[in-house]
Amino acid sequence: MDLKDIKAIIDLMKKNSVSEFELEKQDFKIRLKRGMSGGGGSVGNYEEAVALNYAQAMNAPPPAVTVAAPALPPGIPELDIKSPMIGTFYRSPSPESAPYIEVGVEVNPETVVCIIEAMKVMNEIKAEAKGVITQVMVENAKPVEFGQPLFKIRPN
Amino acid sequence: MFEKILVANRGEIAVRIIRACKELNVRTVAIYSEADANSMHVQMADEAICIGKSPASESYLRIDRIVSAAEITDVDAIHPGYGFLAENAHFADVCESCNIRFIGPNSRAMSALEDKAVSRALAKKADVPTPPGSEGVVDTEQDALAVAKKIGYPVMIKAIAGGGGRGMRVAHNDISLVKGFHTARTEAEKAFGNSGVYIEKFIENPHHIEFQILGDNRGNIIHLGERDCSIQRRNQKLVEESPSPLLENPKYKKLREKMGKAAIRIAKEANYTNAGTVEFIVDQAGNFFFLEVNKRIQVEHPVTEEVTGIDMVRYQIMLAMGEPLRLSQSDVQLKGHAIECRINAEDPFDDFRPSPGRIEMYYQPGGHGVRVDTHAYAGYTMPPYYDSMLGKLITFGKDRREAMDRMSRALSEYMITGIKTTIAFQQSILQDPNFRRGVYSTSFIEQLLSRQFPAQ
Repeated sequence: MDLKDIKAIIDLMKKNSVSEFELEKQDFKIRLKRGMSGGGGSVGNYEEAVALNYAQAMNAPPPAVTVAAPALPPGIPELDIKSPMIGTFYRSPSPESAPYIEVGVEVNPETVVCIIEAMKVMNEIKAEAKGVITQVMVENAKPVEFGQPLFKIRPN
Repeated sequence: MFEKILVANRGEIAVRIIRACKELNVRTVAIYSEADANSMHVQMADEAICIGKSPASESYLRIDRIVSAAEITDVDAIHPGYGFLAENAHFADVCESCNIRFIGPNSRAMSALEDKAVSRALAKKADVPTPPGSEGVVDTEQDALAVAKKIGYPVMIKAIAGGGGRGMRVAHNDISLVKGFHTARTEAEKAFGNSGVYIEKFIENPHHIEFQILGDNRGNIIHLGERDCSIQRRNQKLVEESPSPLLENPKYKKLREKMGKAAIRIAKEANYTNAGTVEFIVDQAGNFFFLEVNKRIQVEHPVTEEVTGIDMVRYQIMLAMGEPLRLSQSDVQLKGHAIECRINAEDPFDDFRPSPGRIEMYYQPGGHGVRVDTHAYAGYTMPPYYDSMLGKLITFGKDRREAMDRMSRALSEYMITGIKTTIAFQQSILQDPNFRRGVYSTSFIEQLLSRQFPAQ
């Protein structure tokens, strides 16, 4: 199952006002949940939890689909910008400068979002996605490992 | 005293290193690939850093990532285990230049023994017999034919950068020599990034006997006795024991002293420090020949630990800290007998095909004189990206008979479901009359398999 299929399921959920969806097949499991959080205003915050589980099961359970109560207006899934390396995470090009990006900023694939320093080399990390930054996941000057989520982005 | 050590390895050896660190009150950092997120060494370490995707080339072989992980966790030293980067001189250099101590031999010794051809030359300088063969790397098929003519068939074509039993081919005549020469070079380039090969006399049905050495940075070097590793399938060791039944034979009593001294001569010639193993082959007439030096802790080190009472990984760490050896050769006593069986996730009934997957049930043997070094547990999924060894079973007895009986008893206690293992095959080795008599050579497994599976 790839992102296209997940987006198709989400569209179906929106169309039919479904808030929870779970599917288990022989070699993977997926759970999607839509919810409203935070204050009022015309634009709400949507959180979706996506859990993809690839299991090497010998005796696979039969496919199962559960549908829960109707709920909320449509939302777009958020993606993580993950660290491609190990090192120390910095929000700004230098201690005196302003951070590269903040929450709410629009980025494109070439936008530098942070620096990861490893072995005395400052590596500029690019967004590699187009969208709006919705969350900063790591504190400035903290160590990060390979694959660690650095930012959440809502693609557009 | 080191305060923190990064373990640059995985699986059972990573667990082994973490155990030694814990006993020394040293904090540990585990590194892992995405496939090893649930591995035992990650659970046991104080800190863990993900360093990349599953293939070793994107994780356990990535010097830059490992050193970055070492920097952000602020470790004093790195233990490289065995395989991966354990014998990579460049990795050792990078660690030292970043002020991180490399727990292994010094760079000079690594260069002096950098490949098998260079090591052969060093052994000759140390007045240690080597199998007749080429002076160094053989570059052309004409040279290969000339060497073979001089030493006589059969010969072995060996990759100078090979290791762990890989990169070797036998040739019985000119035609197979020429063919094998070119194929070996191509394979070596692909597998080790170095197409250099040399040629040695192929000694048939030898015993593979290796000596464990330990050296400090003041030039003191001792050996901890031998291990007999002749029980091999396709040059991969399956069973190891100490002492060697061959060297216990009164006819060969003097060999142990001669080989032990030869091992130390080679180590001193190379200015060796920390732990290492000098490999020899012994022919049917009791002549011994130097093969190579393994510049790392080895898989089968527990066998020596059991008969000497010496914790080798602990010693590696102490020696790396600059501690003197504090052991003389006469302090080393071999007591009793120890045997190790490697337990692999392979199907012995299907040509030893690897059997990765989820371990459903896992119960391991125990009791007096039984030791299990493993990272396996019930519910653990063996990843397909690395070697198939799921653990080592070691038994100790007051003599060889007791160690063997205990090994048979222990093997029968294992309960593992979900994956295939070589446990049943190991049991058939332990029950074999020739093995029990201690009469075997490196052709033992081949002969056993042809009896068990005559059609093959």
